[in-house]
Amino acid sequence: MTLRSFLRHEAVLGFLLIVVLFLLAQQSDKFFTTANILNQGRLMAEVGLIALPMTFVIITGGIDLSVGSILGLCAILLGVFWHNLGLPLPVAMVLAIVVGGIAGLINGLIITRFKVPPLIATLATLALYRGLAEGISQARSVRGYPDWFFVLGQGEVLGVPTQLWILVIFAIIAAAILGLTTFGRATYAVGANETAARFSGINVDRTKLLIYTGAGLISGLAAVIFVSRVSTTRSDMGTGVELDVITAVVLGGTSIFGGRGTIIGTVVGLILVQALKNGLALSGVKGDGTIVVIGLVLILAILATNLFSRNGDG
Amino acid sequence: MSLDIAAPRRSASTGVFARTIGTYGQEFIILAAIVALFIVVGFIAPRFVSQTNLTSIFSGNAYIAVAAIGMSMVIISGHIDVSVGSLIGVLATIAGTLAVNGYPIWIAWCAPIVVGMVITSLIGALVAYVRIPSIVVTLGMLSILKGGLISLTGGAWITNLPPDFLIAQFRLFGVPSPVWFMLGLTIVAAMFMRYTAFGRSIYAIGGNPEAARVAGIRVERSTVAIFAIHGFFAGIAAILFATQLQVIQSTVPAGLELTVITASVVGGVSILGGTGTVVGSTLAAILFAAIGSSLIFLNVSAYWLRSVQGLLILATVLADMARRRGVK
Amino acid sequence: MKKKTVLLAAGLVLASSAAYAASWTGGDDLPTSPLACDGTPGTVAAKPYDGGVPTNPPDRNGKKITVVDIPKLIGIGYFNATSKGIADAAKELGNVDAKTDGPTKANIDEQITFIDNYVTSGVDGILFAANDPVAIAPVLKKALAAGINVVGYDANSTPDARQWFVNQAEFNGIGKTMIDSLAKEIGEDGSFAIVTSTFTTPNQARWIAEMSAYAEKCHPNLKWLETVEAQEDNVLSFNQATTLINKYGDQLKGIVGMTSVATPASAEAVTQAGQCGKVAVVGLATPNAMKPYVEKDCVKSVVLWNPVDLGYAAAYVLRAAADGTLKPGDTSVKAGKLGELQVVNGSEILLGAPFVFDKANIGQFDF
Repeated sequence: MTLRSFLRHEAVLGFLLIVVLFLLAQQSDKFFTTANILNQGRLMAEVGLIALPMTFVIITGGIDLSVGSILGLCAILLGVFWHNLGLPLPVAMVLAIVVGGIAGLINGLIITRFKVPPLIATLATLALYRGLAEGISQARSVRGYPDWFFVLGQGEVLGVPTQLWILVIFAIIAAAILGLTTFGRATYAVGANETAARFSGINVDRTKLLIYTGAGLISGLAAVIFVSRVSTTRSDMGTGVELDVITAVVLGGTSIFGGRGTIIGTVVGLILVQALKNGLALSGVKGDGTIVVIGLVLILAILATNLFSRNGDG
Repeated sequence: MSLDIAAPRRSASTGVFARTIGTYGQEFIILAAIVALFIVVGFIAPRFVSQTNLTSIFSGNAYIAVAAIGMSMVIISGHIDVSVGSLIGVLATIAGTLAVNGYPIWIAWCAPIVVGMVITSLIGALVAYVRIPSIVVTLGMLSILKGGLISLTGGAWITNLPPDFLIAQFRLFGVPSPVWFMLGLTIVAAMFMRYTAFGRSIYAIGGNPEAARVAGIRVERSTVAIFAIHGFFAGIAAILFATQLQVIQSTVPAGLELTVITASVVGGVSILGGTGTVVGSTLAAILFAAIGSSLIFLNVSAYWLRSVQGLLILATVLADMARRRGVK
Repeated sequence: MKKKTVLLAAGLVLASSAAYAASWTGGDDLPTSPLACDGTPGTVAAKPYDGGVPTNPPDRNGKKITVVDIPKLIGIGYFNATSKGIADAAKELGNVDAKTDGPTKANIDEQITFIDNYVTSGVDGILFAANDPVAIAPVLKKALAAGINVVGYDANSTPDARQWFVNQAEFNGIGKTMIDSLAKEIGEDGSFAIVTSTFTTPNQARWIAEMSAYAEKCHPNLKWLETVEAQEDNVLSFNQATTLINKYGDQLKGIVGMTSVATPASAEAVTQAGQCGKVAVVGLATPNAMKPYVEKDCVKSVVLWNPVDLGYAAAYVLRAAADGTLKPGDTSVKAGKLGELQVVNGSEILLGAPFVFDKANIGQFDF
């Protein structure tokens, strides 16, 4: 992958984003206000967080469909650890995130040890983790968290929603890991050509295990933030999140075949989807219309990129 | 990715038995699982294997098996379609709308098949000629179809369907028509995949598109055709789906795409393309339907139902992986 | 690995069936208040207003207001009907501009995002049916703080997050009507099963809990067999109901449908299994979907309030709240053709008792 093709993807996307923002700002004077923008940051934090490790997963040529179910499972366990087992809430939060990591690790083990393709492995755990959430919760919700807990999901730090800080910090860390470290280069290598990566001394299995575990951990973190935002736990939390996440990542230019993609692309993809959802709603388009537009934008963006890069290649 | 998956007919030197297992191993495992399930659950709850319940299991889920046939071909060719659930919802609504508005019944039956083929051909063209990955095209298509359907119908139920239209409720020799469709289409598709040049070229394209091209296969054109065939099966699945009851909900059935894809891949179709059979996907669809029904018969607490389903899928997949290693 | 899996599965099954055999699956664990068996209305203690108040709303008295209706999900018959009621009322009032928008699946997260966007876009009033009473509260409070009038219907939020809630029927009223109809059709010692949407849907969970409590009190010999989940999905509901019929055979005397999707699908399952007259179907449903089965005598009676009226009342209540004619402490409110509706329970407006549709009257309704 060359720097040029990098820039091409981001250039197309960035251009598209600017056009969209401009058009939407024309439609509603409520769109380009600080309050609205910060609020959108709050709403996209969970999907955004999970999209970061998903970028790694997809760059390795894999996929993780179970992230929404892990989110649901961790949310339920947060409630169960705190309310039913009587653990202090901070301990319960940490444990819930750890369980997310374990769930991700299990995905990784099934994929690396048993050589099950990621799509099938995580299809199975999608059902399994959601099922565990339903079984453990027995459809009961846990509510009544202390006020300090809501800082995470409903509060602000220096005037910016808490979870937006978390998202920004994690995005920077993820971009640094992917772009600057050996681990990041190994991630690309695994996705570009796994056999070659193995021969060049990269521990492919360990790389994948770490990435899937990371996806689980971050899904757990997203669960804690989600519970804090909505102040209750339900076993159906996070249903369908995987599709939103994958949409943002592939819109961001990450190749589903592996080997290519950036965190910046993913972040632009995220912002584009969120801006469309919000901006179209503010300009009076109904939800069903918005879904259609997002589908079209996804196809057209990748189409434009493909045509553009083909012309470039001459 | 270097997932080493046994290709069909991999070695002439191994015995006939091992070869058969190598080619049809997954089918045997699933068939054995189905038989074992019927015996064990039938022993505990005899009504499970009553004729009425068997009929319900087969006929109520035949549309999933039919959709999985086309999906298997798409996946064998190295692609995927995550929009199939939305597509079936849209096609079912088209069929129902035509039927209640006085169009001849045969038009109401044919239109969804034609429209299905047009939509999937478009997907195929975007995949083959513009080289957009199929998961991206179909993710987008999922949104477009789902949002479009609700925009147009508002989710209003279609009622007063003419009785002649309800083909899924017809019976032949006492067996509901969906079962005949499932059996007939599976057999035809299996023969097609095995004995026609085009069928075999699907494996070639999925196994290695460049090699297929060198061997003279027109990969682009074939890809569009494969998606069109998938649309044909989705159209039939939609009609079976639409005519099961007296009303059509005109929304997208939740999670149907995952059910269909799961049936295909658990049925032994490799997600990496190149291997698998349509018989396996039909058997897997039956297995899942039977599992769903058996869990109710076994009084599994409804709260734990989905985890048990997940575990069973996982067990099937892991057993298959173990088998493939054994064959190697 | 496979052995372990099987063991684990078996363990889960045993553990869960042992621990939760006592109460009806699918009910919640909130306190229940079953009504008296003979139909004496329940005594409701007068309660002070416990709803919220919008912060510095502009004077909207008599002025044109824009209202958005955000149901649990769009695209199902029931919420199409409430949405029609709201549109009817808006037309009648003349000074309300109403539209319906919402998620395509009953999802707490998406519903919150929808409301949030409408708060930002600056509507005058929000009508909602909550997917989760607690999860929706913060965003509704935000709406109140922005001076927006907020009224709920069908599914409540925590009281302080909205001004008023139009209650279609009290939970214990539904519980009584359903169980009474059931006992009448299958006999005092009949066995039955329940088809619900999901165990996490608050209204359905509440109704099942109230039905269980009322049955224990007034029809102790009714035998509950099991509850199955079927989402809001026609075909799944049909398959689940068919499996129940196949499983229990002659033992099964009745199926209770908890949603407007599950009930007609259960009736269809009974019809296709040739069990009309042998297996009774009782449940919540809209009349149009049930007409074929009621006319064929396969289903005797259907329980429901009129969802068109529910939406209609909600729109009138919102208008009254915006005009300032409905204030905390009031005991009734005028709702157009529905007349005076009573305020109960602090800040809830009661639509009326649940209605039972049967062969004699079902032809008069079209929704």
